[in-house]
Amino acid sequence: MSELPQWSADFADDRLGEVVALPLPDVREWAFGGGTGAGVRVAVIDSGVDATHPAVGSVAGWATVVDDPEEPTGHRVVEEPHEDLVGHGTACAGIIRSMAPDVEIVSVQVLGANLRTRGTRFVEGLHWAVDHGVHTANLSLSSRSDQLYAPLHEVCSAAYFAGIPLICAANNVPGPTYPAVYPSVISVAARPGADPWALACNPRPPVEFGAAGIDVEVPWANGGSIVGTGNSFSAAFVTGMVAVLLGKHPWVTPFQVKAVLQAVSDNAVVPA
Amino acid sequence: MTHPPSGPALTGAVTAIRELFSAAATSFARTTEDGEHLVFVAADGAGADRIVGVELPVGRGIAGFAAMSGQSIAVADVQRDPRFARDVAESTEYVPRTILAAPVFADGDVAGVLSVLDPAVDASSGWTLSVLGTLGTLVAALMQAPEPAPVSPASPDVQDLDLSAALEALSSRGPQARRLARDVLGAVTQFLDESDR
Repeated sequence: MSELPQWSADFADDRLGEVVALPLPDVREWAFGGGTGAGVRVAVIDSGVDATHPAVGSVAGWATVVDDPEEPTGHRVVEEPHEDLVGHGTACAGIIRSMAPDVEIVSVQVLGANLRTRGTRFVEGLHWAVDHGVHTANLSLSSRSDQLYAPLHEVCSAAYFAGIPLICAANNVPGPTYPAVYPSVISVAARPGADPWALACNPRPPVEFGAAGIDVEVPWANGGSIVGTGNSFSAAFVTGMVAVLLGKHPWVTPFQVKAVLQAVSDNAVVPA
Repeated sequence: MTHPPSGPALTGAVTAIRELFSAAATSFARTTEDGEHLVFVAADGAGADRIVGVELPVGRGIAGFAAMSGQSIAVADVQRDPRFARDVAESTEYVPRTILAAPVFADGDVAGVLSVLDPAVDASSGWTLSVLGTLGTLVAALMQAPEPAPVSPASPDVQDLDLSAALEALSSRGPQARRLARDVLGAVTQFLDESDR
């Protein structure tokens, strides 16, 4: 098992183990009970979102990162509606909506039809989200480029200090992937189970949390749905939880969010 | 657009992966130089001979999704996915039900996608994506390995060598080959300079 990517082995029932959490009474009810995500703006940084999909409901804001060699960064942001290029952003937005029905979804399209500039588009889109008033963001995408380590680290730190929790999908490939390995973000992988509110905290980071994401039915492009497996979907379930938490307690900071997520985890125990 | 098939090492790798997953078919699609397309360069199993050489825009199909997001995905019933590239599958005369797709990285960029069609193994634990992602790193290593030089039937006469044509051919084989071409050109230039002294 040691040859497998760490997240896979770590969330197996016989390996997960316990984590000692802060002794917060009734923390799950306090965090999520009766919450709808009202007043929370959630950025879905992805392939775009299909606003006409019934599982998405509506999209409150749009940003499309396009290539522009005239700009210093090589990109500019167009704040106009777009389509979902592959259905993936729609899946994540639909999951978040199913958890937090009253959130405002902001679609930031960074995945485009050219792979050569995908990394820098990603950085640009994340900067846009941090600078445009979102309260949390879902990042079900990742990069392995060492050239992007510093730019992504910088913007993730900026989000952390601005009080914006970033929820990132871990990757299934050996070696570091960014931004999931940064301590400033909340990294998530899939674990077995159908309960969308179930969570496990990994005592062996960098992947910190495990959530539903194996054989889950998710909305997809053109009004359809698929049964899919992927860490992408797990991250969206956790983003939904964070949106509900922030809707109930807007003052909660990213490091407090981690403490709450740990305390509500299935494998959390309180100190004796 | 059609492309030449890959070398035997890549084909051997996708064959081994198909056998590991007891799958109906496996394939590897490489990102084109402009980053806008995926071209299937190696395949094994059902429809393999028809898929090799097929080129798709990056945004198409489950493989396109993995390429764009850099994330692995498993779709249990692709026929429910409206973006599933059914026409491509039908052209291979094999339409799968389940697809696993994992990005393959080289030098930090998405260099291609490894796909497994209809694996017979139990995918419900999610381990399949872990294994496929790990195997993708091996495919990346094979992809970057230089193709073996063709064996000449006889030593060519130096007069018959066309250096510029050889360098041009090498340059069309990607960044690593271009670097090699530059190194060769640099070595030849240096040799000529020193010979002239």
